[in-house]
Amino acid sequence: MAGLTLNHIYKRYDNSGKKKKVKNDFAVKDLNLVCEQGEFIALLGPSGCGKTTTLRMIAGLEEITDGEIYIGERLVNNLHPKDRNIGLAFEDYAMYPPLNVYGNVAFNLRAKGVDKSEIDRRVREIAPLMQIDDLLEKMPVKLSGGQKQRVNIARAIIREPELLLMDEPLSHLDGKARQAMRTEIKRLINKIKCTTVYVTHDQLEAMSLADKIAIINFGVLQQFGTPTEVYDDPVNEFVASFIGEPPMNILETTIIKKEGTFFFTFSNSNLEIAVPQRYYSVISDGFRCKMGVRPMDVLIGGPDSQGTPEKIATFENLGDERRIGIHVGDILMMLITEDEKRYKRGDIIKLEVRGEKTHLFDITTGDRIREKK
Amino acid sequence: MKNKKQRSLNVLMNILLILYAVFALFPLIWMLLISFKSDTEVFTTTFLFHPTLANYQEVLLRSDYVRYIRDSVIVAGGAVLVSIIVGVPAAYALARYNFPRKEELAFQILSYKFAPEILVVLPLFMIYQKLGLYDSYFGLIWVYQLISLPLLIWVVRGYFEDISVEIEYAAQVDGYSWYQIFFKMLVPLIKPGLVSSALLAFIFAWNCFTFPLILSSNKVYPVTVAIMKYLGTDSAHYGQLAVASTVSALPAMIFALCIQKHLVRGLSFGAVKG
Amino acid sequence: MARIQLENVKKAFGKVQALDGITIDVKDKEFFVLFGPAGAGKTTILNCIAGIMMPEEGLVKFDGEIMNLTDSAHRNVAMVFENYALYPQMTVYDNMASALRSKLYKTDEAEIRERIQWAAKIMKMEKLLERLPSQLSNGQKQRVAMGRALVRNPSVFLMDEPLAHLDAKLRNSMRTELKEMQANLGSTCIYVTHDFMEAMALGDRIAIIKEGRIVQIGTGDEIYYMPCNEFTAQLMGDPEINLIDAEISGTEEAYTAKFSLNGEMVACSLPQDSGVYAKIKELGLKRVDIGIRPQHIKYSFEPQDGYFKTTVYSYESIGNKSVIVTDCGDKNHSQLRMIAPNGLRVAIDNDIYIHLEMDHAIFFGSETKDYIVRYDEANYIALAAAQEDE
Repeated sequence: MAGLTLNHIYKRYDNSGKKKKVKNDFAVKDLNLVCEQGEFIALLGPSGCGKTTTLRMIAGLEEITDGEIYIGERLVNNLHPKDRNIGLAFEDYAMYPPLNVYGNVAFNLRAKGVDKSEIDRRVREIAPLMQIDDLLEKMPVKLSGGQKQRVNIARAIIREPELLLMDEPLSHLDGKARQAMRTEIKRLINKIKCTTVYVTHDQLEAMSLADKIAIINFGVLQQFGTPTEVYDDPVNEFVASFIGEPPMNILETTIIKKEGTFFFTFSNSNLEIAVPQRYYSVISDGFRCKMGVRPMDVLIGGPDSQGTPEKIATFENLGDERRIGIHVGDILMMLITEDEKRYKRGDIIKLEVRGEKTHLFDITTGDRIREKK
Repeated sequence: MKNKKQRSLNVLMNILLILYAVFALFPLIWMLLISFKSDTEVFTTTFLFHPTLANYQEVLLRSDYVRYIRDSVIVAGGAVLVSIIVGVPAAYALARYNFPRKEELAFQILSYKFAPEILVVLPLFMIYQKLGLYDSYFGLIWVYQLISLPLLIWVVRGYFEDISVEIEYAAQVDGYSWYQIFFKMLVPLIKPGLVSSALLAFIFAWNCFTFPLILSSNKVYPVTVAIMKYLGTDSAHYGQLAVASTVSALPAMIFALCIQKHLVRGLSFGAVKG
Repeated sequence: MARIQLENVKKAFGKVQALDGITIDVKDKEFFVLFGPAGAGKTTILNCIAGIMMPEEGLVKFDGEIMNLTDSAHRNVAMVFENYALYPQMTVYDNMASALRSKLYKTDEAEIRERIQWAAKIMKMEKLLERLPSQLSNGQKQRVAMGRALVRNPSVFLMDEPLAHLDAKLRNSMRTELKEMQANLGSTCIYVTHDFMEAMALGDRIAIIKEGRIVQIGTGDEIYYMPCNEFTAQLMGDPEINLIDAEISGTEEAYTAKFSLNGEMVACSLPQDSGVYAKIKELGLKRVDIGIRPQHIKYSFEPQDGYFKTTVYSYESIGNKSVIVTDCGDKNHSQLRMIAPNGLRVAIDNDIYIHLEMDHAIFFGSETKDYIVRYDEANYIALAAAQEDE
């Protein structure tokens, strides 16, 4: 059963009141998503891409211009937010300051007129789950960022919603607290098995939390898939460069044919990389495109390697791994190695690229060029 | 449907605003009308009358009105100038340095504004007489800056507090001395606040009535007090009174219109920007 | 360029002792990193070097010359501030020109133009020169702040967390660019950070600062492989090093470490290593804290010889790899972190079998928390020495 279905959703902001006409006034364009019952979905994209608008439309805080939203089997287009049976956890904590934690968590249920003993039972049930049992008597001002966020989420899930919506709940936390809270959220959602939509601009958060990621740019869905899918099989250049840290190396290339073998060549560089056989059906001599390869798939060849000798531009020792940068034309191509050897700037290494891990992208549209099956 | 509802709401709002504007501006318009009326027509309540410039000729050409204006400019302008010279460094000190009883001092400066003028004016009168400040430019400037200084200090202090101290450090490291930093880096940054609070202070000082009424007589004659002259003991020349009021209100109105935008922004910016 | 020395510098703010006897000696043309948690006093050290703050005790020397009484304008330092401190009323160009237009460092306009063009090119911001700071993104502001320092020819560059406000991705790419720039400049630089990767990647030497004191100074490798105490070990590495409270038993021929895992005592034999074995014998070690970095714990989903059973607490990507945290149900070391590739099928709360590679272990005193010995110590001493020579 589907937990949430978005059917051709459009959102257009009314610009008639503003002096300046915005060229692209669709905040969300033809968005289709099906989220299975109990799935954890991340809406991921740069700021201003329409991900928060989408979340607000699902919540009913924002009208939709066109399309249909189903929560479970119910069409909720015209339902008031309070009737949609959703839990919300936002970026800012928005707690009621005069109420203590218990009061804040119980607030929604009290408003609905739920029985007092029932409220108490539910609060006591959820408090240990969110590790706020010691905090119930505290006032919001006394809480740390992480604690506030836990209360915030407890408040969202106490109503036993059909759908849990979270908008960048970790963006106020920093460093270690953020990482720890991320783990907590993941374990919690795993336990309560509630269908969840999670908005973030941090690809790491999306990758580590979500069952499926919807990557959005300029209001248009780019790709919807599991973290492994979007990482290993990106549909276009945007997704490829957005997912992964350090980002994928993407270089403009001209393919040339030498003695029956195709090679990637790059302007202002003598680097040559053999094109994997599987692409032969879609390329030709002189074909121009972009080549993408992740830093982990660029290797340092041994002494008798056939790789092109290249000069090291940057060498960063990060303890358990080392990152090396090499100039290919104007672009600094990164590679990551766990090799113990310490290099210096200016050292020559032989560069090998795992041909089977390269991706091709169209030079103008950025769309993936796939080999023919 | 929604649009229609919104539009009718808009219309209603505008009507209300217009009504309020008429209500608020009516005294000013009435004053302007009277200034063009001859004494016989002053009390007619119709808008029909025979406009005349006689009142203007009488006030501007045949009385000392220009001198009164000049006195007002000197006194109000002097007060603002003193406030700037004293207030900007004071505001800087209050914003940047920590010293004992800082907040109390800042509050005390502000509290000068709390005292009702009429309450302090009598003791001031006696002191001024003893010190020989009575009826002097310096004396009035001195008392006017009680009005303008607190305003200026509090607004400008907010501006200084908003400038991160690292900007001063950066300029120090860049090789500038403190005075150069102050005038080259800081003054341009507080300018909006300084200009708007100075103008507002000028308007307040200009409009001040109680102090000049009691603390000056013949030598210094600000326009607010001078207007009373046209209310003679025998007859009240309402036309001339209206002219005097209109002309004296002009600088304030012109300033207010010119800097309208900056005024609101300048005064609220420091506080809101955070 | 200059050699910068601090000798026993002390500075207090009211009752708080911000710096408590800082002594460092930054060599000419060295890239020196001050690394520590927030509030350790790193920025205060920079401010004392820049002359923005006066230390109450101790000396600040540039090339051997005592600078304590010289004001910051005359010290000829260039500083990059954490919040960039750009002059909001000036364009990017004027911001960068500011130092060269001051009376002290007066330069003629033609040369200023040349220097700014050069710096703008390095920082890839030629197109931003006419903009005001308010029209820039954080990353661009950071470049301008850097560029403003670059146009000068100072005794020392002081950089206060210049990358802290950028998001993770931009921070990493800027770090790489900074590394490249540093090599081109060849100037003395003191760099403050709380990011372990920045410290490791950029620093010729790193000073670990904690509560106004220096904990350790050394090259990245030295501190990473031979941290002087558990605090440093935990700071150097993300995910953090695992510390296991263990008992050592056995004889000179073969020692074993015993520790509790899920409430049971398990034993792990310690491989032969002359250095480690000698130290255990010499000090008669009974209880130690064993430090094992996350990449030296191996996992398996099937029971194997030498593997202990635990449960998965979490499995998360940290970029190009992932971290598995296992729950060991013990008070002292309740969780162990290990590195795993991305994209594994790992279910939370399922069983996982782990193996500790003891031949990478670092030993700390269980009371003192100070470094005692590590495996392959001689090797790492040699590695550190080789870097020192460069």
